[in-house]
Amino acid sequence: MSNPQVVEVKQSSLQKEEPRIGVYVCHCGLNIAGSVDCENVAKFAATLPNVVISRDNRYTCSDQGQDLIKKDIKEHKLNRVVVASCSPRLHEPTFRRACEEAGLNKYLFEMANIREQCSWVHLYDKQDATEKAKDLVKAAVAKVALLEPATESEVPIIPKALVIGGGVAGIQAALDLADTGYQVYLVEKEPSIGGKMAQIDKTFPTMDCSICILAPKMSDAGRHPNITLLTNSEVQDVKGYIGNFKVKVLKKPRYVTKDCSACGDCSKVCPVIMPNEFDVGLAVRHGIYTPFAQAVPSTYVIGMEHCLNKDGVLKCDKCIKACERKAIDFDMKPETVELEVGTIIVATGADVYDPTSLRNYGYTKFPNVITSLEFERLINAGGPSGGKLLRPSDMKIPETVAFVQCVGSRSDRGHLYCSNICCMNTIKDALLIKEHWPDTKIYVFYVDIRAFGKGFEDLYKRARKEGVIFIRGLPSDIYEERKTHNLWLVGENTLQNDVYKVNVGMVILSVGIEPRRDSDVIQKLLVLSRTNDGFFMEAHPKLRPVDTPTGGVFLAGCAEGPKDIKDSVTQASAAAARAGILMAKGKVTVEAITPKVLPENCKVCGLCTKVCPYNAVVLNKDLKHVEVIEAACAGCGTCGAECPFGALYMRHFTDDQIIAQIDALTEHDADKKIIAFCCNWCAYAGADFAGVSRMQYPTNVRIIRTMCSGRVAPKFVERAFVRGAAAVLVAGCHIGDCHYINANVQTQKRVERLWKKMERLGLNKERLQLLWASAAEGERVASKVREMQSIVQSVTKEEIEKSKKMTEKV
Amino acid sequence: MNEKPKPPIQIDKMDKEFLDTIIKAGAEKINVCIQCGTCTSSCPSGRRTALKTRQLMRKGLLGLKDEILNNKDLWLCTTCYTCLERCPRGVDPTDVILTMRRMAVQAGNMLDPHKRVAGLVIKFGHAVPIDEATRKLRTTMNLGENPPTVHAYPEALKEVQEIIKKKGFDKLVCYEWK
Repeated sequence: MSNPQVVEVKQSSLQKEEPRIGVYVCHCGLNIAGSVDCENVAKFAATLPNVVISRDNRYTCSDQGQDLIKKDIKEHKLNRVVVASCSPRLHEPTFRRACEEAGLNKYLFEMANIREQCSWVHLYDKQDATEKAKDLVKAAVAKVALLEPATESEVPIIPKALVIGGGVAGIQAALDLADTGYQVYLVEKEPSIGGKMAQIDKTFPTMDCSICILAPKMSDAGRHPNITLLTNSEVQDVKGYIGNFKVKVLKKPRYVTKDCSACGDCSKVCPVIMPNEFDVGLAVRHGIYTPFAQAVPSTYVIGMEHCLNKDGVLKCDKCIKACERKAIDFDMKPETVELEVGTIIVATGADVYDPTSLRNYGYTKFPNVITSLEFERLINAGGPSGGKLLRPSDMKIPETVAFVQCVGSRSDRGHLYCSNICCMNTIKDALLIKEHWPDTKIYVFYVDIRAFGKGFEDLYKRARKEGVIFIRGLPSDIYEERKTHNLWLVGENTLQNDVYKVNVGMVILSVGIEPRRDSDVIQKLLVLSRTNDGFFMEAHPKLRPVDTPTGGVFLAGCAEGPKDIKDSVTQASAAAARAGILMAKGKVTVEAITPKVLPENCKVCGLCTKVCPYNAVVLNKDLKHVEVIEAACAGCGTCGAECPFGALYMRHFTDDQIIAQIDALTEHDADKKIIAFCCNWCAYAGADFAGVSRMQYPTNVRIIRTMCSGRVAPKFVERAFVRGAAAVLVAGCHIGDCHYINANVQTQKRVERLWKKMERLGLNKERLQLLWASAAEGERVASKVREMQSIVQSVTKEEIEKSKKMTEKV
Repeated sequence: MNEKPKPPIQIDKMDKEFLDTIIKAGAEKINVCIQCGTCTSSCPSGRRTALKTRQLMRKGLLGLKDEILNNKDLWLCTTCYTCLERCPRGVDPTDVILTMRRMAVQAGNMLDPHKRVAGLVIKFGHAVPIDEATRKLRTTMNLGENPPTVHAYPEALKEVQEIIKKKGFDKLVCYEWK
């Protein structure tokens, strides 16, 4: 790992000058002003200590708004700025830049989140929302007065990328990056790249042959000088951070060397026969095989587990004897490849929904009920039936065919979301049948036809013109006629209010797509979040749609959500561009939020070294205090929370700053308030999401942001109780999802210790709550606040007084 | 065709509060219905009778209060719960129908057999009162002539009747006291 140049905080800047604070309360049009009296808040802010100027304006983030701040910094000699507006996750960089442009160090800026966490979640209570906004501004002013200037260190970015997943999205992303000039590692789990698109016959709405347009891209990727293809391989470990990832890839043996000419002689003699995965089990393959004709690499592969007898000994060597080029090597071993890359693109794709559990549709029970992916293999000229739509029961071409839509989609028996592609895929499939066998009678049973994309409606119209019968209403049951293996579909034609009973020769279940079953592996390795539907979550649904919350990691294709080929390719190019931007810059600045060691306080107890998830705090025996390896430190602050002696000074989230926030928020009516500590990545983002979704919750919660819940020292919680807070909430990422590997495990331990202490002191431990909520779980945050109301209401004055002495008794 | 065409749905017949009322009364998930028709088509009664479960959901969503509460089809549901099992949206149509039935009953709309059964409850304290055969059977088995219910405690039956009178249930089911 390369060591970034570490720039120390200048000592001179630590000498305190008298704070001169400017406060800007933003109306955000009516987004804030609709439920918060901004003028009143600005007037209030003017009365706060050290505030030199306080203004409210319509859009603080506009050019005029920013210019005003810059002008004030110069004219009024401001040395601290507070903007009360949206979430710092949205506009903190904007205002920090404005401060810098006016010559003010960007670490002397603080935001009060009065939109996502105030006006939008308290739409109908202007009075209380205004009071809350005042509190939030007060806390920001209290913190900003204690902020210190800092210089960021720069980290170089390795100009190499890793693309995980070799479907069409991964291929496109790899090609774009390779063409730009970067070295790319393309890792694919299967023996060939190509993904799901390689299995499909035609693509909608243009009816292009799928493999014909994909195969050239596959071979481009295979022979591109900048692309290293790692097939039959899986990512096992990812360490490091943006610009400097260390990746371990397990390369499983193919048992066939590069000398293979793909002649196929080996396959002919191989006695092992098993279902062919590429043909979704509709055909067979041998033990030594190539997945499909256009496979890249074309090198054959052996599924070794089927070549061994029950004692694990090879039972046959026919292929070795058959291979003229001596390309078969049974001694190949799995190897671990170590890569160093600067950026990672996740293009792991999706799985196809398995409708077996919907028993009333009879999939796997009746041979002539098939899925849409099986249909693709049947209708494909290169498939097991040579492109003939043969019924599995009698190998005859059916005269009537029924498609059933929304199988496993829009349903709480499958997935709640619309799978995006099934409507158009069915329409395309229906037209394909009509093209080959025009007399076939085709029914499509649907709920809504969603033909939203470019050229989609035209294709739908064409299917109607060609006589495909669309019936609105899903069948509830599919029965089989025992003798003919024909199928009866029973349902309601909802447009006519009649029950239908239709007899067909074949039923095609238009199955949806779902998150890959092994998504959690990549999720944990790269510390990603997933939305409720199970797909990977983007950093911002509108403005950063291919970024992830983890710096340097991007998303492409169905890993992010169901999408068609065009959207996957578009997104892949976007992800490649985003990764390319980073690598072209060649360096990235790291926030100056790492701890500084105060040697005089350090007792060399070693507690901090044990809790650091990155082993970035180390004992220096010669100096007799701990040291922080800044390049390895991510700034979670769990060391600072652990240190009982205040020897670790968490820059930008110091003890004093956080305590100043707590004190400001508990100055009035503390006994009615909930003080919440939320981690930046999950809980705080979740609270922001609740705001964006306008989920309403009670106004008495006050959120303090820390980078990680691991920063929340027990003394912060105690401080809140000593100041008379009714309840305290500590909220972070789900265990296993922590953005600092596992720092939130320390959070849990600390909260559990606090609970024990509260019990010992006779305090109701319900007053301290711990919540794990992801960035997508706005409702979880909102309902926790709602739930805590009963605790707040039940806390008596005596209990508050008792907890005020919480720290004294120790 | 002698049937008169059905008049279009009239805005003034749509009761905005009705949907809220049935949601509050237990049909919590009715508004996520997408009218896919799975309920009607899985209904063993609906395949033979006029019951169209999907339509009841739709009318509920539109707030067509009168059409639902006066709808005799409500009583054709056998509560077999197949629609509830299969509904892709988790609407729980059977529970919605049961909610609608309770509201219909409160409005005094029910079938005559319901009233007769209610009459038995008022008169004997049992929907299925004991008969001579059972009495005899009990005696032969040394269980006593009557079970330890209102049958054995006439004063308890009086209390039941008192409650029924106070709640106005007797009037709702048009029970005639003798």
